[in-house]
Amino acid sequence: MSDVLLSVENLKTYFRTSRGIVKAVDGVSFTVEKGKTRALVGESGCGKSMTALSILQLVPEPAGYIDGGKIVFEGRDLLDLTWSDMRTVRGKDIGMIFQEPMTSLNPTFTIGSQLSEAMTIHGKDFGTAIERAVELLDLVGIKDARQTLRQYPHELSGGMRQRVMIAIALSNNPKLLIADEPTTALDVTVQAQILRLLKDLQERLGMAVLMITHNLGIVSEIADDVSVMYAGQVVEESATGALFSMPRHPYTQGLFASLPARNPRGQDLETLEGIVPDAAAWPSGCRFAERCKKKFDACSVPAPVVEGVRCHLMVSGGTGGVENGEWGVGNQPPNSPLTTPHSPDAPEAIDA
Amino acid sequence: MPEPILTVTNLVKQFPVRTGLFGQKTFKTAVDDVSFSINAGKTLALVGESGSGKSTVGLMLLGLLETTSGSVVFDGKPVANLNQSDSMVLRRKMQVVFQDPYASLNARFTVGQTLTEGMRIHGLHETEAGRLRAAGTLLTQVGLPENALDRYPHEFSGGQRQRIAIARALSVEPSFIVLDEPTSALDVSVQSQVLNLLRKLQREKNLTYLFVTHDLDVVKYLADEVCVMEMGKIVEQGDVDQIFEVPKKEYTQKLLSAIPSLDPASRRLGAF
Repeated sequence: MSDVLLSVENLKTYFRTSRGIVKAVDGVSFTVEKGKTRALVGESGCGKSMTALSILQLVPEPAGYIDGGKIVFEGRDLLDLTWSDMRTVRGKDIGMIFQEPMTSLNPTFTIGSQLSEAMTIHGKDFGTAIERAVELLDLVGIKDARQTLRQYPHELSGGMRQRVMIAIALSNNPKLLIADEPTTALDVTVQAQILRLLKDLQERLGMAVLMITHNLGIVSEIADDVSVMYAGQVVEESATGALFSMPRHPYTQGLFASLPARNPRGQDLETLEGIVPDAAAWPSGCRFAERCKKKFDACSVPAPVVEGVRCHLMVSGGTGGVENGEWGVGNQPPNSPLTTPHSPDAPEAIDA
Repeated sequence: MPEPILTVTNLVKQFPVRTGLFGQKTFKTAVDDVSFSINAGKTLALVGESGSGKSTVGLMLLGLLETTSGSVVFDGKPVANLNQSDSMVLRRKMQVVFQDPYASLNARFTVGQTLTEGMRIHGLHETEAGRLRAAGTLLTQVGLPENALDRYPHEFSGGQRQRIAIARALSVEPSFIVLDEPTSALDVSVQSQVLNLLRKLQREKNLTYLFVTHDLDVVKYLADEVCVMEMGKIVEQGDVDQIFEVPKKEYTQKLLSAIPSLDPASRRLGAF
């Protein structure tokens, strides 16, 4: 496992609210390997963005706090670092791009000043930083970089601003780039350019990427590995190819089946009925059970994680058909010991 | 040959822009010579990227934005320069569902008030009790419990709010609905519920839809006809199969090739 760059183990990020403790991230584990892309995919409220913020310890305080777990980056647990040590990791070893290129740049400073700030904070002198800023803007495909340095964010289009955000995130050659829905606010053609750019830069710089998204098309295009999240937990963990050819968790199957692109015209779309349960009161059993078409008796207790899938069907021998073929013989019975969620001694199966 | 319910001819919208403090007043053309027609009971999709003018077209059809030139004929009558009573009828027959159900519902109205306001204005159903009964029926039709009438928008999720917005559009018994990105703010699993609902309502009530969107997967699934817009102009227009199978224009091809592939074994974006 020497090529693991980041290992998140049983991470718990909770919020104190008037309605009690909200367990936004509830025992999440995954790894990101050097130079590879892992996607965290799920719908709103599943905890994927909060997982990303937890890694950088940017969870909104004081309501939010990390209740437990480990975030091991290059052999050190980031949760053990002091505030000032953490500042040297943030923006240097780990860069981050946020969803909204419209709001994540400061409207009162020029692009040049925001881009160089990221580098002067981490010890470069101003002259070097500006030279590097020009290189970076070239790198992310902005023509006329010197001119752009003098411009303000409002003078740039959404796609251009997102390129600037990427340039800022890349300015200190991070080993890991966390991208939280980097293309959601953008048009499809611009999205395609930005994804292409990320892929190119990753190949050239050998950087690892943690991609947070709700868009399965993006996962398919750029991820090597995928963790599917639902209700604060990872419900399925798999290599991208395997996930798309044979989703194993009923939630993942339902998500794929409900995509318009996978349904014939003139027929109703497959749906996942119901809505995500309330985060202040997760169900005591399997959190997906209420919406699951394959629910059976065992689902009233928390599901074990078997071969990367958090589902009772993995234990009892699944009966339900899968969209792209039946349950493979090789998938069950499980040959790994059952693990229960919440147990700190039982990390999830990582290699699917 | 079925009669089109809506015909748009040479529609133009220009917005005045001033360049500089004392600059000359010039015009920016947002919609440039757009023509199309929709047959009753069908769905026409207007697709394009931000700034292509697709939402502006929708607003002009509804009379929510003045046209610079061109004509919109709905149900045999021109939409412009109607007298008061014809315009009332038109506003009842044409409805709209907007993209963001968090912004489009009045937070201070109960769902019941939201659904009965239009009925009251248009004099539908005799009594308030009758209107509330009708509102209750609408809620069941869009898949919400009748007791939702007394609740406020903040008590509902995004998907449920969009169902309320759809019920509001239906409350005045329209025949034509502009759907302006109705599912882009929703999660995948909720999107499929709302799309199924829209299809069911179209079947049951013979509704005509103008579907304004940038989501080509949804267009392919739902639309009968497609108009592709770029910078205010329709660059290609045709039957949905023709547009997706044999796109003629370079811009359409570019849009289609930018849709992420759902097969990791044949990734598309290398082309970009």
